[in-house]
Amino acid sequence: MTLPGASQKAVDDYLAALRRQLRDLMEEDMNDIVEEIRTHILDKTAPGDDPGQVEQTLAALGAPRDLAARYCTEEMMRRAEAHRSSTQKARIAGRWTFSILAGVVVLVVSAAGYSFGGLLVIAGIAKVMWPKGTGLWETVNTDGTQTLGLSGGSGNVPPANNAHDILGWWLLPIGLILGPVLIYATYRFGRWSVRKLWPARRTNYAATEPQIEI
Amino acid sequence: MNERQAPNTESADKWEVQLRKGSLELAILAALWGGRLYGLEILRHLESGSDLVVAEGTVYPLLTRLRTLGLVESEWVESDSGHPRKYYSLTAAGRERALEMGRTWARFAASLNNLVAPLNGAVREEKP
Repeated sequence: MTLPGASQKAVDDYLAALRRQLRDLMEEDMNDIVEEIRTHILDKTAPGDDPGQVEQTLAALGAPRDLAARYCTEEMMRRAEAHRSSTQKARIAGRWTFSILAGVVVLVVSAAGYSFGGLLVIAGIAKVMWPKGTGLWETVNTDGTQTLGLSGGSGNVPPANNAHDILGWWLLPIGLILGPVLIYATYRFGRWSVRKLWPARRTNYAATEPQIEI
Repeated sequence: MNERQAPNTESADKWEVQLRKGSLELAILAALWGGRLYGLEILRHLESGSDLVVAEGTVYPLLTRLRTLGLVESEWVESDSGHPRKYYSLTAAGRERALEMGRTWARFAASLNNLVAPLNGAVREEKP
């Protein structure tokens, strides 16, 4: 159903004004009310395209402000208030859950990064001190499976007769370069996560501190 | 109307407005007693069944209020007019409330009719 241009505009303007006046209600209630008034106007003006009829219908409904005021009763406002506070609670709970989960992830990643980085550095140093006993050993077991292990020291001898050192002297640069890089990267990741997840409330001291003139 | 009469007429008008306002809720609940209706049907029913002049801007907010109170429920129903219409029907609580209000109204009207009885002769004479 369409109305002639000018009447359609009058109806649209009326409904837009009504919507603005109902903004304190729940969105669902607001849409329902505006739609109902729209169908009322359409039903009232259905038979003809008489612009006078649109005018008359809108006048009978009263000014948007007055009509909206009749809708904004205590019950409706309470309903809107209750809805607002429940969505707010859900939002806070969601934020907390995310924070905790993200915190656990950051903790696990950081712990893994620091330990592995530290291990690499220790392996690099151990390679210098006990070159024969330190390495990334690949051992072929009796049942055909393979075991990979990082070990060092232990009397400066390989952990087993059939153990094969995969990295050899490469362990030295890998351990002493990759280790610190990994530790530094983990440190940066931790700082970045903390800044992202729990942004500090920064105080602009320059603006708040009194200027002392000497 | 001259100035001496004005305050008198004004308070009579106010009284009538209050009377209509107070009875509109019952009239709407009673209109829905027979089954679901949409807003404009309720309005037409009220106007045809009485000489109540019902302001359209009053009925719709009142329907919304009755719904919030759980006395009526509403549903959008497709119609062949090209747009859906919002139909209202009484809830169980609404039926109970309508009955209760209807009873109160009948009692009240009967008592007041008794009290107004002395005026009846004068009121009848006024009519042409």
